[in-house]
Amino acid sequence: MGKRVIIVGGGVAGMQAAITLKKTGCSPLLIEKNIALGGKLNNWDRLFPSQTSANEIINGLTDEIASLNIKNILCGEVSEMRHDEDKIEVNLTDGNTYEADAIIIATGFDLFNATQKEEYGYGVYNNVITSADLEEMFRQGEVKTSTGVPPSSVAFLHCVGSRDLQVGQGHCSRVCCITGVKQAIEIRQALPECQVYNFYMDMRMFGPGYEELYKEAQEKWKINFIRGRISEASQTIDNRIRIKAEDTLAGRPLKLTVDMLVLLIGKKAAACNRKLAADLGLSLRESGFYAPKDNFTDNVCTCKENVFIAGTALAPKTIGEAMNDGTAAAIKAYEYLNRFENGK
Amino acid sequence: MANNWGFGINEKRSIDLDTNNFDIVRKILEAEPSFYRCISCGSCTATCSAGNITNFNFRKVHHLLRRGEYQTLSGEISKCMLCGKCSLVCPRGINTRNIILNINRLITRQNLR
Amino acid sequence: MSYFEPFIIPFSVGVVILFAVMWTKFISWISALPKSDKKLIIRNAVSKATFAALWEVFSECLLHRRISRVNPRLWYMHMSLAFGWFLLIVAGKIEGTLYLKSPVNPPYVDVFFRKYFPEAHIPFMGFIMDLLLLFILSGLFMAVLKRFKPSVYGMKKTTKHTAGDRIALSSLWAIFPLRLTAESFNSALYDSGSFLTGTIGNLFAFLFPEHVLQILNETSWWLYSTALGTFFVAIPLSRYLHIFAEIPLIFLRSFKIRAAAVPTTFTNLEIAACSRCGICIDPCQLGRNDIANDIQSVYSLRNIREKCNTVENSDNCLMCGRCENICPVGIELNTIRISQRYKFRKNDNPYNYRYIGNRDFSQGEGKTGYFAGCMTMLSPKIIQAMEKIFRQSGEEVWFADKDGGVCCGRPQKLAGNIDAANRMMELNKSLFIKHGITTLVTSCPICLKVFKEDYKLENIRVIHHTQYIHELVQKGVLKLKKDNRKIFTYHDPCELGRGSRIYEQPRAVLSLAGTLVEIDETRENSLCCGGSLANTRLSFENKNLISKTLTDRFEATGAQYLVTSCPLCKKTLSRTSNIPVIDIAEAVS
Repeated sequence: MGKRVIIVGGGVAGMQAAITLKKTGCSPLLIEKNIALGGKLNNWDRLFPSQTSANEIINGLTDEIASLNIKNILCGEVSEMRHDEDKIEVNLTDGNTYEADAIIIATGFDLFNATQKEEYGYGVYNNVITSADLEEMFRQGEVKTSTGVPPSSVAFLHCVGSRDLQVGQGHCSRVCCITGVKQAIEIRQALPECQVYNFYMDMRMFGPGYEELYKEAQEKWKINFIRGRISEASQTIDNRIRIKAEDTLAGRPLKLTVDMLVLLIGKKAAACNRKLAADLGLSLRESGFYAPKDNFTDNVCTCKENVFIAGTALAPKTIGEAMNDGTAAAIKAYEYLNRFENGK
Repeated sequence: MANNWGFGINEKRSIDLDTNNFDIVRKILEAEPSFYRCISCGSCTATCSAGNITNFNFRKVHHLLRRGEYQTLSGEISKCMLCGKCSLVCPRGINTRNIILNINRLITRQNLR
Repeated sequence: MSYFEPFIIPFSVGVVILFAVMWTKFISWISALPKSDKKLIIRNAVSKATFAALWEVFSECLLHRRISRVNPRLWYMHMSLAFGWFLLIVAGKIEGTLYLKSPVNPPYVDVFFRKYFPEAHIPFMGFIMDLLLLFILSGLFMAVLKRFKPSVYGMKKTTKHTAGDRIALSSLWAIFPLRLTAESFNSALYDSGSFLTGTIGNLFAFLFPEHVLQILNETSWWLYSTALGTFFVAIPLSRYLHIFAEIPLIFLRSFKIRAAAVPTTFTNLEIAACSRCGICIDPCQLGRNDIANDIQSVYSLRNIREKCNTVENSDNCLMCGRCENICPVGIELNTIRISQRYKFRKNDNPYNYRYIGNRDFSQGEGKTGYFAGCMTMLSPKIIQAMEKIFRQSGEEVWFADKDGGVCCGRPQKLAGNIDAANRMMELNKSLFIKHGITTLVTSCPICLKVFKEDYKLENIRVIHHTQYIHELVQKGVLKLKKDNRKIFTYHDPCELGRGSRIYEQPRAVLSLAGTLVEIDETRENSLCCGGSLANTRLSFENKNLISKTLTDRFEATGAQYLVTSCPLCKKTLSRTSNIPVIDIAEAVS
């Protein structure tokens, strides 16, 4: 049996880390708190920028985990961790304890709770939904307003729970811009008659193919991009949503009534970070995400040499980036576990 | 005057950062350093109680001020009701009301119009 | 007989300067009061108010009764000095009157009676004088202790004083030990003392030969007179002016004269009446959180008197009213602060609301009007809850600002822009009158305060939705189902609590809907959420700092919901709370 590595979190980063470790001869144990592996990706329909099905990614990873016989625990919630020089103990809420030589934290992120931005009316007005709710509609194959009809106009609001000190979220969640573009296109694809407006502060098209998709959204899908952050929404008598914003490029206040307002919610540091960081003696960034040992060379390592971090536990990331992190953390863990064999 | 502020026919065409005077804005920034943080998202203007009735635009005031363009400020800023809604929606937590009060103080003192 | 002796010169000069300066000040302030205030004086001077004021002068200026409720140890200190000294003067007067068989003697004869007439042995008087001196000295001991160890009095910080104050303080501290010394030397020579001065006098007589005693006696009376004189001259220049300023203040206040946002000379009197006791320092949340330690009312009033107040200092205040609530002199600290801001701002670029015109954004019709308020617009849950409550009430409601409206004017008033505030008030008032409402309900305590105090809405009853809900519950129109598993804690908004004295209604309503658990500082002593519109200097980060200190305490009660009744408090507390922050309207709808 190889060196034991526990991976906390069975999202894409955790799964990818487990697969890589197994291939190096270690024996990984994947602990996932939900009933299935795949993490938040389970709730997503298609992925930017290529519209690849989320299921396709998850199935690929779960198949590989099954074929490699990687041990995994579902519905396993960590209650406490104990860190030793060369041993880590993980207690689960069900009472079981597991021991390992190294650990990879891949606990991911929490979705921002949009009710915190009360002025947008999420949880107050029926036709204000989040980007996650819209993905669920896409998965069900139907985009409908609360009255069960397809919307004839939809507005997207970027940066809800991102770049917003009013809700203690000072950071950029990175993926919402491109998600907004993707979802706007998907609305137009599903409902060609529907008018779509995207309210943004900055369009951050940092990834390969993103800017191209943005251009496609403008040119092919005729989406209206309006530079201005919505300040508040209200409901009309017929359950439509009245939006107040400033068209900052025109320099004038703007009012718009739509059938549906979609809030592109950001990524929030997972609530469990504080507890686990305290258990293991790790440090967090001001945003609440884990701080790696170093931003460049050891960006999946921590100040504890047998603790590694992967994916969105570190910062908001795309699926591809999270998977790369999984590979990187696995390799770093492997290097650590075999440090004596390599003559270090 | 209030209705077509910005660029009139007889006004200069470009913002000349080489010759504009930044004394006033420097003082305002000193009094309220959170002013530096603005990203011009327009939330303040969108929510503005006065902007609901008139073309008062705090974001634009900020912008012109930062460029040293003071000509139209005193007329514009005098429309503010100081209700404070803007400070509650500002994603950067800017203390907008202190800026308004300081502008109203300084532009008069310098007798600029 | 003139009884003149050289050693009385410092004392006499001091008395003359004191009364000349003080009377000039007081008379000029009272004569410069606005006409309306003078009418109040004429109307109320011959009435019960005068007697009430007389009693208050006795109970406050001498007995300091209000401090006794705040801090008993501090009360003893102030009372023993003030009341003890007063009694000492009265007793001296009695001695002089009895011995000389005339009530009209030069004041120095009564004050320095023992020096003049060491042979006078009036029954009991020597004992009484010693007792009073001991009483004062005990207070003095406590005053010295307070300076070096405020914690004995439960105070974290005591006032930092100016040079003028220190001179006055030092001379005041010197007066009574010097009197003790002088009388004791006197007693050593003439056996004129009782249990205190007599005993010390015997000791002195044992220690020093007579010719030395003669010199020491003369010197100590000189020093005593000099200390008195110095203190008297320092009074008008120092905080001790409060001793006398509080007297006309009490009279004018009982004649219903109040400070105004546009300051009158009554404000000068209130400022002069501040004793700089420092009781206002500890309640201040800016001090508690170490955000600012030089803006508290005691310093602000001092700066005003010394003409070195700054707009920055004057703007950096939450105006939560915690200091005003506790001030033993009853100074209208918030109004004075507004009037300072007014002075700083009156020459600013003027606000211009001509653009508003006759705009009317209101909707609906009804005798009951609802003014949500600007901040409430950012809290749709409150508006939704209120709309539901109005439907349940069965009343027709006129919505004043459903589609936006004109600000109530309170924020401008708090900033000292009185003219701008008045213009907004006129606009809203004409709207209320035009629509003929008889009741005005608002969701914002900031609006409530200004509607009640400044709008002068004669035929319109102004209430906060907390009161409205409470009335509906009492009438049985709104039925609440008590759910004991719902645990609420309640935050008093400053403008609703201390500002409008509404404490019971929200608690009554919440107790009918669930269980109410509270933190220890509530009602009159409640804390500000940090979001106050009155402070235009406080940074976003510091607002959150204050908010966090509150939400930590609210969470520690174990409550599931933090309930408040102000949209601004709701927003500010939401930023730092881990439990949901809801408005009382949401809690019951």
